[in-house]
Amino acid sequence: MGRYAARLHRLALGITRNAADAEEVVQDVFMTIYRKGESFEGRSALGSWIYRVTINAALSKRHGKRREVETSIEQHLPSFDQSGHREGSQTYVLADWSENPETVLLSAETRAILDRAIDSLPDHYRAVLVLRDVEDLPNAEIAEAIGESVASVKSRVHRARMALREQLTRHLGQRT
Amino acid sequence: MTCREAIEKLAEYLDAELTPEGLRAIDAHLEVCAPCRAYVATYRKTMELVTKVCRVEPPEDMKTRLHAFLIGHIAPTK
Repeated sequence: MGRYAARLHRLALGITRNAADAEEVVQDVFMTIYRKGESFEGRSALGSWIYRVTINAALSKRHGKRREVETSIEQHLPSFDQSGHREGSQTYVLADWSENPETVLLSAETRAILDRAIDSLPDHYRAVLVLRDVEDLPNAEIAEAIGESVASVKSRVHRARMALREQLTRHLGQRT
Repeated sequence: MTCREAIEKLAEYLDAELTPEGLRAIDAHLEVCAPCRAYVATYRKTMELVTKVCRVEPPEDMKTRLHAFLIGHIAPTK
């Protein structure tokens, strides 16, 4: 149980964004594993299956409780001029807040902005972001878990990171 | 290489999945493009922040409740 409980809870929380819902999802997933898990062979296949069950249960829980708001990720992606160079004011385009001290980067204010940015991602982007950047799963294993191509996983992770970076830059870029 | 092309390949660049030619092309672009250097640094830091903020252990009382739930639902009956 311990092997997966923390990972599944983080994944479920990442999708549902609600602690009580995430806990219920984990309980449901463990019951599903208990009832159906014996038919699976091979560590990788079982792992992918467990993640898939968790993602589906978490998405179902979230959609059941909250009317889905289709969030466009496009508004948070970088824009380019016709020659392929970044658009925007020089101050913004050149803002490098990465060297800010941890006290700023991990402050309650920055955490709240990051939290809102993660929350605003479409659900299927948030799921792959958690699996890649929080659970550190390889793209191929994520692809197996969500039943999509590796290229699709890479694209979603990249776009999710860019959207978060953009929102952090709006906040932190003004401090550099 | 333009900024758009460099940023499109950024995830593969950081995952060391590019061909040697692709790698050289991005390195050459970064050498002369300050906005993209800032972009790479902040993109990488965003990844780190997501990991640090989201990779948390579930609370102990949640683990206790889960354990009790499983005992109650799947423990063999005598």
